Amino acid sequence: MSQIFGWTGKILRVDLSTGKTSIDDTMKYKDFIGGEGIGYKILWDEVPAGTHPYDPANKLILGAGPLCGSGVPCSGRTTIVSLLPTSPFHGPGSSHMGGYFSVEMKYAGWDAIVLEGKAPKPVWIRIEDNKVKIEDARWMWGKGIFDTMAMISSQMGKEAQVAAIGPAGENQLNMAVIRTGTSHSAGGHGGILGAKNVKAVAVKGTGSVKIAAEKAKVQELDKFMMSIIGANNQMVVPSHPQPWAEFNSPGSRWTGRPGLFWGAANPPVETGVCDPKDMQSVGFRTQKAVFDLGAGAEKYTVRMGGCAHCPIRCHSQLKVPQLEKYGMDPYVSNTCVGWSGPRGVMAAGGGIKEFDGNGADSSVVGNGIGTTMVDDLGVWCNYGQIGRDVKWFHEKGVFKRVLPAEEYASIPWDLLLKGDPRFLIDFYDRVAHKKGELWHIADGSAWIAQRWGLGDDYWDHKDNKLWTRGGYPVHHSNESAGQVGALISCFTNRDAQNHTHQNFIGSQLPIAIQKEIAGEIFGSPDALDPPQNYTRMNEFKARFVKWALVRGRLHDSLTLCNWMWPMAVSPLKERKYRGDTSLEAQFFSAVTGVTKTEAELDKDAERVVTLFRALTVRAMGTVDMRGKHDAMNKWIYTPDKKDGKEIPQFTKGTIQMEKDDLDKGLGMVYKQFGWDEKTGAPTKAGLEAIGLKDVADELGSKGLLPA
Amino acid sequence: METSDVTASDAPSAVGTVRRDSAAGRLTLLSALRADAARNASLPPAAAEIGQDAPSSAVPADPLDEIGGSGAEDLKRMDGRAETYFFSDLYMTRAYASYLYRLAEKDLVGLVVETVREDSRLYPRPTPLDFFRGPPFTLAQDQLDDILTRIREREDCRDIRECRASNGARYLYSTLHLTVAHAEALTEWNEVGQAENP
Ligand code: SF4
Repeated sequence: MSQIFGWTGKILRVDLSTGKTSIDDTMKYKDFIGGEGIGYKILWDEVPAGTHPYDPANKLILGAGPLCGSGVPCSGRTTIVSLLPTSPFHGPGSSHMGGYFSVEMKYAGWDAIVLEGKAPKPVWIRIEDNKVKIEDARWMWGKGIFDTMAMISSQMGKEAQVAAIGPAGENQLNMAVIRTGTSHSAGGHGGILGAKNVKAVAVKGTGSVKIAAEKAKVQELDKFMMSIIGANNQMVVPSHPQPWAEFNSPGSRWTGRPGLFWGAANPPVETGVCDPKDMQSVGFRTQKAVFDLGAGAEKYTVRMGGCAHCPIRCHSQLKVPQLEKYGMDPYVSNTCVGWSGPRGVMAAGGGIKEFDGNGADSSVVGNGIGTTMVDDLGVWCNYGQIGRDVKWFHEKGVFKRVLPAEEYASIPWDLLLKGDPRFLIDFYDRVAHKKGELWHIADGSAWIAQRWGLGDDYWDHKDNKLWTRGGYPVHHSNESAGQVGALISCFTNRDAQNHTHQNFIGSQLPIAIQKEIAGEIFGSPDALDPPQNYTRMNEFKARFVKWALVRGRLHDSLTLCNWMWPMAVSPLKERKYRGDTSLEAQFFSAVTGVTKTEAELDKDAERVVTLFRALTVRAMGTVDMRGKHDAMNKWIYTPDKKDGKEIPQFTKGTIQMEKDDLDKGLGMVYKQFGWDEKTGAPTKAGLEAIGLKDVADELGSKGLLPA
Repeated sequence: METSDVTASDAPSAVGTVRRDSAAGRLTLLSALRADAARNASLPPAAAEIGQDAPSSAVPADPLDEIGGSGAEDLKRMDGRAETYFFSDLYMTRAYASYLYRLAEKDLVGLVVETVREDSRLYPRPTPLDFFRGPPFTLAQDQLDDILTRIREREDCRDIRECRASNGARYLYSTLHLTVAHAEALTEWNEVGQAENP
């Protein structure tokens, strides 16, 4: 066999039912790139339609791509693929975590780990290079993720990277995570590990990822990448005016500036000027603690952390001594929804308020309590849905109606309504341990709507932010470039988790520059509207949607961080703020030695998008994707009102969409992918053209190809 | 401790001073450059120059000659009411220099009004009032209140309006570039919505 670069060439399969392990050849999946692509191919080939996510016949794939572990910036992500318990038809989906797990997995010699079957009793999997052992997890079962990691690390050493579930996963909660490191959680698949009786997968590797290109070539690419990289989410202007910056934006994640510190470091570290030409200060650009938690978090910030091979470091690592009072570790870390998800549960009472003598620091302490609870118990927030649901169910009397009176009376609602985050301790304990009826809130919106008899008012209430009856919420939807974000949100079975378009529009550059760049990529500046000033659907927006969907799958397959990539923009005036959208292909070619142009690599990712679509068609048992899958909830295209009068769509200041326009947009996107414009299902010809003839054959045999 | 005397040949050039100041985030005042030049002229000549025909008391060089010379094209001039300012656009953008200029000229109404107009036009976005409390402005709340009062009184600032997000945060925008509805929606999104949709 000729030498393989980038990929390790091996996939580890663990049959939990028999305790046997085997090795599979990665290269037979190379048309699907890696990570997410390989995961979907395995689901297609090996998990029959109609399989329940918790059935032993379901498989869970922990995947890395060819760039993972190669040192390419922001390449430390793990993509987990399996069926989604929250989906009402148990559709396919991916969850993602950062940290160091996938890199260590590659160093141990594995591109992916496929968990099959079900262990007869709780186990954890120990992987040390090519030595794989299924270990007894009886002492860990029931424990939180922090203790589990400590127990495994005490056996394998601190270099071991652990992906583990907490009680939520063990109890097969639909909204459970798999977590690695201190703060990297993949939401939605924790219950599947629990159903397989797997507490954790731990890996230690002593190998490396082989790179095809000369060192100098990779270094040159690396240097270029570092010259065009921005702050988290590829925001390329600073939040405060700085001498080097032509532009600024108070909403930017480029918060680093003179006078802003990692205040709890010893001695405190000033983030400083962070001139884009200074590569040594890239890691100071994103002081994420103050961005996520407010100015009060500065003094608690020890440093910023993040994933392997990432210069950005978007996870705030804090020391909050007050947490010890609540029996918690003072060290706490997270980013974005890792903070706002648990905190969102407090929305019913108007958010976290001053409590327990914590004064002005109550918010930071409260956020610490929330994130510690979910990170230990392993509960997923479904991109903030759990908080919106608590608010709705409380306000609308749903809890009062569905919870047994005794249970209802036992819940400390007074804490919630007072804004005291100690409510979260009680709440998450009930949810993770499936106590009473309340825990069903973590079944996911689609299931809970059935169980608790929730009607159209639940789905169609704007503030509930539920995108489709698939039960997942917005994640950079119509508020992000209008139809572009809205349509992206239709091609998923969970929150879209697509930052491709968000990184583009979130760059914080002036709209004229953004439109110019959009024109260069999508053929016309009309691909992008100014914020909250939308125009009707057009062809170029459809191209933008396709690009975002394709790059999202590409990043989750390579595996690169989609919270940074692609590099469409840069902070450099001399480049007219242009980035370089061909960088993924350049890195891919250099690392793997398989030369691909940008268009060729995008085509491979398009294959992954189409396979995902085919999996969804198969899972739903219908070709009517337009009517049964992509149909958006009413609130999205219901005009807002002001002073009793409707605000017409496509006027300044409203992001509400119009149904006919969205329907037209869906058709345009289907066409972009070569799918049937009427149903939105992949066609025989389209599948064959993209190298999925076997998929076409199977769908054809099941009557699932459009006429 | 080692000490060394400063001599005329060690003295910084005006161009170098402006570049250094710009890199440090400061404008350079012409009056300061002239004071430097005068001080340099009164310094003893450098050791190497002793014995040469150095005048016993030099006429200070005019920094403007040096700044206007070739090789200093990056230096930009801004004339204030009583002072002239310089910056190097190698180290400081015009946008930043303009902020500093208005601060130095104590033209706080102009600073706020022009910043708000530019934000409303360029991005477009309303400007949070708190923006002026942070660096490099660091205006106090009572200063801001006073500026807002003066803006309201001025005929030529009628386009500057204030709106509030649902969390109470105050924003300014210019009706030259944003409609009321657009500004209100952007304010709510930037202040509240964005944080809920990370
Ligand atoms: S930007 Fe954040 S999530 Fe992405 S790789 Fe870096 S640390 Fe990880």
